[in-house]
Amino acid sequence: MTATEVRPTRVSAALATTPKPRRGPRFLPALLFLVLLAGAWQLMAVLLDSVLVPGVPAIVTELVDIVSDGAFLDQLGITVLRVALGFALAFVVAVAVGIAMGRNEFARRFFEPAVLLGLTIPGLVWALLCVIWFGIDLVNPVAAVALSSAPALMLQIYQGTRSVDPDLLEMAHVYRFSRTTRLRKLWLPALAPSLFAGARLGLSLGWKVIVLVEVFGMSSGVGYQLNNAFAAQNVAAVLAWTLLFALVMAILEYGILQGLERRTSRWRKAVSV
Amino acid sequence: MTAPVTTRVRLDGIGKTFVDARSGTPQQVLADFSLTVEPGELVAVVGASGTGKTTLLHLVAGLVQPDAGTLDRGDPRLGIVFQQPRLLDWLSVRENVALARESAGIDPAGADAALAAVGLTEYAGSYPTVLSGGQRQRVAVARAFAVEPDLVLLDEPFSALDELTARKLRLLLQDLWMERSRTGLLVTHNPLEAALLADRVIVLAGRPARIAAEYHVDRERPRSAEDPYLFDLHSRIVSAL
Repeated sequence: MTATEVRPTRVSAALATTPKPRRGPRFLPALLFLVLLAGAWQLMAVLLDSVLVPGVPAIVTELVDIVSDGAFLDQLGITVLRVALGFALAFVVAVAVGIAMGRNEFARRFFEPAVLLGLTIPGLVWALLCVIWFGIDLVNPVAAVALSSAPALMLQIYQGTRSVDPDLLEMAHVYRFSRTTRLRKLWLPALAPSLFAGARLGLSLGWKVIVLVEVFGMSSGVGYQLNNAFAAQNVAAVLAWTLLFALVMAILEYGILQGLERRTSRWRKAVSV
Repeated sequence: MTAPVTTRVRLDGIGKTFVDARSGTPQQVLADFSLTVEPGELVAVVGASGTGKTTLLHLVAGLVQPDAGTLDRGDPRLGIVFQQPRLLDWLSVRENVALARESAGIDPAGADAALAAVGLTEYAGSYPTVLSGGQRQRVAVARAFAVEPDLVLLDEPFSALDELTARKLRLLLQDLWMERSRTGLLVTHNPLEAALLADRVIVLAGRPARIAAEYHVDRERPRSAEDPYLFDLHSRIVSAL
């Protein structure tokens, strides 16, 4: 028996020897951006030489002072709690309304004006109205966050619902899936991409409105601290609090949302090449 | 010892009309249509495309409602295999089967046995997205029989598969059918599939659909796809189409 030698073709040889692209640390591009931003800011501060544009060292000093102060975590925690409660309320309502709109023509026509109206109302208006209506009560920030983020979430979920495969709904009907099973095993996984897109949009709106609410009507939280810094004309403190706030957003995005998204879309990876 | 099957499907004077979404023209698919599937019987409905076979099956499944007539099938536990597997891709193969069992009020732990019966034990923990078309349809078959159904509905279950895979699955389906007595309705455009699997073959023709021919399959199971009797029956069904 003779063995046949298989000579590699030019293409297969090239494929075999092509080195894999080198991958650096995942956060390197983002880090590079931040370094360039800080450099540009410092250059601007030096050129303008104004107390209204503090340099990077002054902002860093302010950051260290804020973080080393024991009240920092309390203030941040209060704001995060308010956003979390408001967003949770918006999420629950939006899932129910969004699915109803996608499944029922009457519900769609009924809620559509409310969603479109909600999308056009600025967060500032919700902040002012909730301060007027609810004063310094916890209901104020929770309602403001819920009202500002719910319409965007509803729209995303409604559009996602329209794209759910009707064949799966028929299957669920024949196999008599309970309402809870349909929600947990069919609707929510099928809507996951829409839910994550809606969550990002809703949270970003929620963060913006919570600062306004805390500036106008609360005596605690990041917005309140920003207002204090503004009143003291301390631009470095305003920027430092803003950076800390952005850091929380980044932790939420990279630490929680992206992790959850990877977890819920593992089955998609099973077919990717 | 299993309880004797009692599920009977009776369609009497059924009418069903769809309205064409584009033109608005009404399309009468069934008019004064009657058919009875006796307990323990597997009836195959054969016909060309557009003769109302799937509408008939969807009526029995409760997915559409008749415009006229009465449909009596009691409240049986249903097992169904559609043309496409209709699996939840974000659940594992085992979870897909277990969920159907759980929803039917049966211990979901039996899902593994159902998968073993269709030869998919090694894929129980995999997502359906990694399976071939034939394997996915096997999961759908496993799910249909895993719920211990009183009534099995098969909607051109192998029409989307290559012939070699379809042949294997027909024989698998025959084995599963023989395990326990149950009532069934098979819709297919494949006369040989109907002859191989069914106790009785109904040929639908025309619009609205009418029963053009009816054949009883006088062969004990297990049947062979090479049986000359079935080939002869196949020829008679084709001539009636």
